[in-house]
Amino acid sequence: MSPDRYSRQSFLGADAEERIARCTVAVLGLGGGGSHVVQQLAHIGFQNYIIYDGDHVEESNLNRLVGARAVDALAETPKLHLAKMMIYGLQPRARIQAFACKWQENPEPLRESQIVIGCVDTYKGREELEIACRRYLMHYIDIGMDVHGKQPPVIGGQVILSSPGGVCMRCMGFLTDEKLAQEAARYGDVGGRPQVIWPNGVLASTAVGLAVELVSNWTHKDRSHAYLVYDGNAGTVQDSHTLRKLKVNCDHYSSMNVGDPVLVEL
Amino acid sequence: MIKIKLTGALHAEMLQDLKRPHPFAAERVGFVTGRIGTLAGGQLILLTGYHAIPDHEYLKDHKVGARIGSEAITWAMQAAYHGRGKREGVFHIHLHGHRGQTGMSGTDSREIPPMISGFQSVGREAPHGIIILSLDHGSTWVWLPHNKEPVQAASVSVIGAPIGVFERSIK
Repeated sequence: MSPDRYSRQSFLGADAEERIARCTVAVLGLGGGGSHVVQQLAHIGFQNYIIYDGDHVEESNLNRLVGARAVDALAETPKLHLAKMMIYGLQPRARIQAFACKWQENPEPLRESQIVIGCVDTYKGREELEIACRRYLMHYIDIGMDVHGKQPPVIGGQVILSSPGGVCMRCMGFLTDEKLAQEAARYGDVGGRPQVIWPNGVLASTAVGLAVELVSNWTHKDRSHAYLVYDGNAGTVQDSHTLRKLKVNCDHYSSMNVGDPVLVEL
Repeated sequence: MIKIKLTGALHAEMLQDLKRPHPFAAERVGFVTGRIGTLAGGQLILLTGYHAIPDHEYLKDHKVGARIGSEAITWAMQAAYHGRGKREGVFHIHLHGHRGQTGMSGTDSREIPPMISGFQSVGREAPHGIIILSLDHGSTWVWLPHNKEPVQAASVSVIGAPIGVFERSIK
C-alpha cells in the first residue's frame, strides 16, 4: 500500500491505520444506509467485514442505493454482491464474510465483530440487535430515517451508539414499549417507506464517524453512548434532548448476561 | 479458534489493579471470570468480572514475582464451583510491564497450569485459563471444557473507547 493512501487522515493518530485494519465491523442491511456505510468504511481502510442482506436490487432502489446501476435492477443483482464489489474495489485484500440472509438466521458470525452498524427498518429489529450486541460485547451503532407529514413533509432520523456497559436505547428514550406495540399493531401494513439518498448519506456518514472515533479515539472523548437526531428540513444533527435527563447506569442490561444463554436448574 | 472479548471498563479495572505496587511482591495477580459464546468456527470467551487479591493474601517468596496463599486460591476454586450452573470459568491474570505481545515465562508455564486443572476439577463445563496482559496487548490460554491442553486465543478484543484488538502473531 502506498504511504500516501491515508496521508490525509493522519490526524486520526499514528496507529489509527493499524487499529482500523484490525477492527471487524458488521453492517446489517445494505440498502440506502448500508451501501453508504460500506463505501465509507472501505475508503477509510477497514479490512474486516461481516455483512448481511438477503435482498436484490430493484428499480425502486436506484434513487438511493450507492453503487447500483440500472442494469443491476434488470439483473436483480444481490445487494450483497454490490457491497462486496464496493469493498474489494477499494480494499482488494479485505476479508469479507457475506451472508444472504437475515442475521437472526445465522447469528454466530456476527459475534466476532467489535462494531455492528445496524441499518434496519423496525424498532423490533433494533431491539433484537441491541440484545445480541450486549450479550456478545459489541458496540452497536444504529441509523434510521423517516419521512412523515405532508405540509411540508418532515425528514427525520437518528444515529445512536449503544455500548456494552453503557446506557442503552431504552435508557436514551429511543426504544419504548409503546413504540414496539404500535409497530407490532401495524405489522403487515408498512408499505413502501419514503427514502431518499441525501439523508441516508448524512446518517451513514455520522455513523461511520462514530465508528472511526471508537477505533481511533481521535477526539479523546471516551464516548460510551450517543443519540444524535437529524432534522432533514433544517439540515442539522444535534444531541437528543432526552440525553439531558439520562441516568448514568443502565437498568435494562446486566454485564453478567453475556455469552450463550444457559438453562439453570432451580 | 478462540477469541476473547471484554469491556473497556473491565480492562481498565484490571490494569489499574495489576499496576499497583505491592508491599513486598514484585507483581500482582488476579482472577477474572468468563463465559462461552459460540462463534461460526470456534468459541468466544466473554469476560464478566475481575477479582483483585488483597495484599495480605500474598505470600513472601522471592523465587517468583508473586505467590498467593490459600485464601486467594480458595476464592478462585469457589468461583469455579459456583460458576458451574452458568458455565462461568475462572482465569488467572497478571501483567507483564512491557509493550507489545507477551507470552508465558518459564515460571508462568510451570506454576499456573496446575491451578487451572484444579478449576476444571470443580467446574468441568466451563472454560478456564490464563490471561497475561502487557501495557498495550494481551495473550490468553484457554482450557475448554473437558480439554487437558490449552488453546491460545487468536485475539483479545477490548470493547471500549478506543477499541483494542490484540491479535496473536506467530513469531
